[in-house]
Amino acid sequence: MRATTALVILLPPALLLFTLFVTLPIAQASWYSLFNWNGLGPVDRFIGLKNYKWVFENAVFQRAVFNNLLVIVVSLAVQLPLALGVALLVAGGAWGSVVFRMIFFLPYVLADIAAGLIWRFMFDGEYGLVGAVTQALGTKPVYLLASDPWAFSAILAVVIWKYFGFHMMLYVAGLQGVDKSLLEAAEIDGANAWQKFRHVTLPMLGPMIRLSIFFAVVGSLQLFDFVAALTRGGPFDTTHTMVSFLYYFGITRMRVGFGSAVGDVLFVVCVAFAWGYRRWVMRDD
Amino acid sequence: MTEAVGVFEEVGRPRLPVAAALRLAALVVLATIVLYPLLATVLDGFKSLGELHDNPLGLPRQWDWSNYWAILGGGAYWRVLGNSLAIALATVFLTLVVGAMAAFAFAHIKFFGDRYLYAYLQLGLLFPSTAAILPVFIKVRDLGLLDSYWGVILPQVAFALSMAVLLLRNAFKQIPSELFDAALIDGCGYFRFFRHVTLPLSGPILSTVAVIGFVNSWNGYLLPLVVLDSESRYPWTLGLMAYQGQYSTSWQLVLAFITLTILPAILMFLIAQRYIVEGLTAGAVKG
Amino acid sequence: MAGLELERVVKRFGEVEVIHGVSMRIEDGEFAVLVGPSGCGKSTLLRMIAGLDSVSSGIVRIGGRTVNHVAPKDRDIAMVFQNYALYPHMTVARNMSFALEIAGAPKSVRDEKVARAAEILGLQTLLGRFPRQLSGGQRQRVAMGRAIVRDPQVFLFDEPLSNLDAKLRVQMRAEIKNLQQRLSATAVYVTHDQIEAMTMADRIVVLRDGSVEQIGSPLEVYDRPANSFVGGFIGSPAMNMLNGRIEGGDRPRFLTNDGLAIVLPSAPHAALGRAITLGVRPEHLTVGGPSAFAAQVEIVEPTGAETVLNVSWGSASLVCVLHARVAARPGETLPLGFDGAPLHFFDAATGVALAD
Repeated sequence: MRATTALVILLPPALLLFTLFVTLPIAQASWYSLFNWNGLGPVDRFIGLKNYKWVFENAVFQRAVFNNLLVIVVSLAVQLPLALGVALLVAGGAWGSVVFRMIFFLPYVLADIAAGLIWRFMFDGEYGLVGAVTQALGTKPVYLLASDPWAFSAILAVVIWKYFGFHMMLYVAGLQGVDKSLLEAAEIDGANAWQKFRHVTLPMLGPMIRLSIFFAVVGSLQLFDFVAALTRGGPFDTTHTMVSFLYYFGITRMRVGFGSAVGDVLFVVCVAFAWGYRRWVMRDD
Repeated sequence: MTEAVGVFEEVGRPRLPVAAALRLAALVVLATIVLYPLLATVLDGFKSLGELHDNPLGLPRQWDWSNYWAILGGGAYWRVLGNSLAIALATVFLTLVVGAMAAFAFAHIKFFGDRYLYAYLQLGLLFPSTAAILPVFIKVRDLGLLDSYWGVILPQVAFALSMAVLLLRNAFKQIPSELFDAALIDGCGYFRFFRHVTLPLSGPILSTVAVIGFVNSWNGYLLPLVVLDSESRYPWTLGLMAYQGQYSTSWQLVLAFITLTILPAILMFLIAQRYIVEGLTAGAVKG
Repeated sequence: MAGLELERVVKRFGEVEVIHGVSMRIEDGEFAVLVGPSGCGKSTLLRMIAGLDSVSSGIVRIGGRTVNHVAPKDRDIAMVFQNYALYPHMTVARNMSFALEIAGAPKSVRDEKVARAAEILGLQTLLGRFPRQLSGGQRQRVAMGRAIVRDPQVFLFDEPLSNLDAKLRVQMRAEIKNLQQRLSATAVYVTHDQIEAMTMADRIVVLRDGSVEQIGSPLEVYDRPANSFVGGFIGSPAMNMLNGRIEGGDRPRFLTNDGLAIVLPSAPHAALGRAITLGVRPEHLTVGGPSAFAAQVEIVEPTGAETVLNVSWGSASLVCVLHARVAARPGETLPLGFDGAPLHFFDAATGVALAD
């Protein structure tokens, strides 16, 4: 069988599927975003960049962007250090390491929507853990998910609960890959535990940390299921993320042009970050 | 040989019992925080609504199986699981087939523009499917696939292709090219080579791609939410939210339903731990 | 600079004992080589000296000080690892000065020590480079530089040359030995290569399966192996071993198990009347002579300076190294003899050398 015949059979399915459902839609979104269109009938009410103007002026969208940034910041400042700390405790062969690793990784395996719903119960002011606590303390029920700013903090907590195990696993793999003779050389050079960590382990973990940050940011930009399960964007549309804003304000209301503009903005942000990060931060990895 | 790398494993020196105790305490506290919601979900499904209110933190006084039986006995639960399974299996199968075909071509055949085409396929790694959900929805609708399994399967496959082709192509390239040359001399064509050499040697990477694809499809919510209308086609994620919407005041039922729907995932995880962890993290690292 | 002492050192990993009561004494300024086949425990011993592995029982003394429970960094040692263990993210200069940096030495002191070590090793131009930019031999030197800067009581080498190609290995052997002499440093060097041991050591420790077989100078170990293992391990090509018996008398005869006989100039009393192994080094066999026997030539390997012959005599295979060109061809017979050859008599059962 000649190479060209093989190519004609092997490549088209992938290229076709990919173009049809990935690249074409993205290109079309840019097109739709220039129109005022509700998805039905012809695409003919050209409004130029008005959709983008409406998007950026929209208070809920602005809050959503802020929320996304908040998730990124909290991820980098809280979740990742936590994951690294835990990884240090369970990367070796100390008692129970393997079991603990599996326990911490377990939430990651669950669907976001299920995790969100479980925590919605936990945060419930009457029946959940929060309810139990207020009952025990004898105070009035507290509805965290219905009050600003606690609602989004609740979402942040769920994000950490669900994902820190994944990052922990990445760090465990990184730690296990550190050349032990380097640590021994440092030992002989006189380094104590902290110095060994700072001068040998941490630099050796560099690539893995950079990768972990990459996933944290990309993941943060995609948050939707938690919002859908926990708050549906409430209270008063203060807990939206860009994707949930797209869904609730673009798709459910069939404002396709508007929604496409949101999607486009999200797309540009994702691509810019992915490309720039890989190029400059992960350059030597 | 030395002991490993965790902070309390000092090389060649006796470990302080205090350090070991602190470590264990921290891990146990964390494990409790991680597991408590899951345990609460499972156990509280055995309570009645009243008991949920009066005895939120304790074990069920009476183990009321009726919540669970009701769900297991109803058709909805099995239907949504079946839908999820069908969609996930189809997604994985198509991803593997289509992805392997393309990966094989990129790995072994040099042709004009191969670098560009490959880079094109890699574009999918730059952004998540969520960013394109609206135009994908329009596309699915325009193709007449709305409210059908294929409307979910095909986009999932399409978005999985970038990662799948990346992983598979790199794995296929590991097979020494001398093997390929020898096969060509032996008169073995591309497809025979693929079937008799590449496939058998690629077990691990195929299962990695399968695991990633399956987990992502099984847990998917936004895409089916947008594409599917009929409850009869709902995967378990949509079914779960529908159930919660219907029985929102009866947490004990909702919790039972959640427990039953995450049970397959937990079981799969316990059985195939190694595989799953390796699959999900290896895919991340190599991608 | 100080000596090193091991007193009945034992190492157990769990239930398994891998080092069985090793004792040795290395003088100040000596170059000691621990040599033996893979798995003999030489690296484990080195790591116990360094403090990287704990001692199950026994005493390790460095410079007269018992260091069993002293941390590696306080033992005043430096180690050159088999894979160099250079910090990949640090420059050569920083790799070499890292220990001083940890100790809080001021920059001027660090720079000066690094410069001096760099000069000794010829690394001056490489100080700003990173390990990944260096060749194997250069990395080796940086690893040594790191050790030199620490100015320790004892240098430890863990098979440092095994990752280098043959030519480089020969060159580095000389450099390391040279360095050690210049610094008058005490060194413990681990290798599985007996040539390295013979060329570099002041004192050789031959190890097998966690026990010491013999300790001595290179020539001692070569001329008077304590048992058949040492005899066969030291020297290349390996010593020829023949099993048989000695028949006494004025002119003792050695009878192989096949019944072939050869007249010997002399034989130790202890060798009479028991099954023995007779050892003769390939380089000590001669052509011709009154006690020559007819050996059948199997393979001829001329190396230019010597001729290596594989011959058979009865059921025995022998290797013989002649410092001359020999016009022998496979299939021909050659008269070989033991004239003037140092002979080694070992008890066939225990392998112990039998004294005169």
